[in-house]
Amino acid sequence: MKSLIKACFAIAATLFAGATAFAATPLELKSDVFVERHVVRGDGSKTVVLEKPNMVTPGDNLVFIVRYKNVGGSTASNFVVTNPLPSAVAFNGTSDGLEIVSINGGKSWGILGSLRVAMADGTSRPAMQTDVTHIKWNLNQPLTAGAGGKLIFRGIVK
Amino acid sequence: MRTSSSNIARRSRTLFGAQLPGMALCASLGFAFTQPAMAAGTLAGTDIENIASATYDTPSGPVTVQSNPVLIKVDELLNVTVASTDPGDVATAPGATGNVLTYRITNTGNGSEAFTLIANAANGGDDFDPTLQQIVLDTNNNGVYDPGVDTVYVAGTNDPVVAPDQSVTTFVITNTPVGVVDGNRADVGLTATANTGSGPPGTSFAGAGQGGGDAVVGATGASAADSGFLSVQAAMVTLVKSAAILDPFGGSRPVPGAVITYSIAANVTGSGSLTNLVITDPIPVGSQYEIGTITLQATALTDAADADAGDYNGTRVRVAAGNVPAGQTRTITFKVKIP
Repeated sequence: MKSLIKACFAIAATLFAGATAFAATPLELKSDVFVERHVVRGDGSKTVVLEKPNMVTPGDNLVFIVRYKNVGGSTASNFVVTNPLPSAVAFNGTSDGLEIVSINGGKSWGILGSLRVAMADGTSRPAMQTDVTHIKWNLNQPLTAGAGGKLIFRGIVK
Repeated sequence: MRTSSSNIARRSRTLFGAQLPGMALCASLGFAFTQPAMAAGTLAGTDIENIASATYDTPSGPVTVQSNPVLIKVDELLNVTVASTDPGDVATAPGATGNVLTYRITNTGNGSEAFTLIANAANGGDDFDPTLQQIVLDTNNNGVYDPGVDTVYVAGTNDPVVAPDQSVTTFVITNTPVGVVDGNRADVGLTATANTGSGPPGTSFAGAGQGGGDAVVGATGASAADSGFLSVQAAMVTLVKSAAILDPFGGSRPVPGAVITYSIAANVTGSGSLTNLVITDPIPVGSQYEIGTITLQATALTDAADADAGDYNGTRVRVAAGNVPAGQTRTITFKVKIP
């Protein structure tokens, strides 16, 4: 079992690392995470700053930023960005509200308000942000050469 | 860096056929090992890794790209609560030894943590200060103080290590001074402080967290205290003696031949109960005890020192009234004759 898991990690790591370095990829995808801190200024006013996540504890608000850019020479169509949510993070919304989400590991998708969670007693309840496992953006317009943008979502460390 | 990752890229391409089933297997394993969410939060040392992926169509077919992984480690949050778990004041008595007060220490942080315990029996704002005997850890975890079984706490030697979201029960053992009176209360505090560090929330200790991250003081300041209370329940007795004389002529003069009925009422006041109340009264000089006249609560008792509560030994009467709760009265009577 242990070696099987290890092998899986190896395969996964290989896949991720491999894909990033794919030389011919005309699309750049960059992921960043920041911690939101509420800071009280000298004059007593409060402000929110984004910090590098040097210190993160349960309850902290994280801001995930995914930047994309078409660095190739041709248009990319049907552009879809998917972000599996780390298991220790509870989803806390996106900045644009245009996402669809999955609450079952990416098997099915929908807007959060339309999804329901099956309960042990056979009933179901509306899905909540804490049920979200994956976030996905279907960007409808084609991404022309040189075009780019960023997608922002927030999470809370469980 | 670039070279080595393109090596990996090449390898991944050669493995492509095996990747999809491999990934599916990994995903299912991942779910099997997902830990349930806990109140204290994600365990310290847990890695949060975020990778985004994108797919799009190109003239030469669909393409998938992965973002760089972002890895952050969850640091240890130092939090603790202490709560007295006695249902109310614990009863004690003047001079009582081995009062047991019970407290629960809960690690509300997200890392396993050792705590230093300090008991304080000398608090202000109460009526007396009991003498601190020891702090005892509920090592057999049954919630009850078992002398000789549960381990005596020695600071720095057996500081209890508490897993996140778990609690340990601790007993503070005290003695009550002799001079206290009914109704006196004593405040006995127990403080638990995280060994990694404590202070204002946000204080951090680099590299000191479980799992290799930092340790950060949480909202509790990584130190907490609560008070348990002792309440003295002391019963006191007051004796009221009265006499009724019946002379041979039907009057109430103390003349020879008159019979005096003595009545002694023992009133128990305070709280709790008086144990083994014994009422003794010598026969007054110049009078003769009337045989077989002792009563307790209007019930006749024999003069012999036997199973019943009363006896007369030639010079005094004695009645053992047993345990008497506060608020009750025991009345004995006996008769003497003036010769």
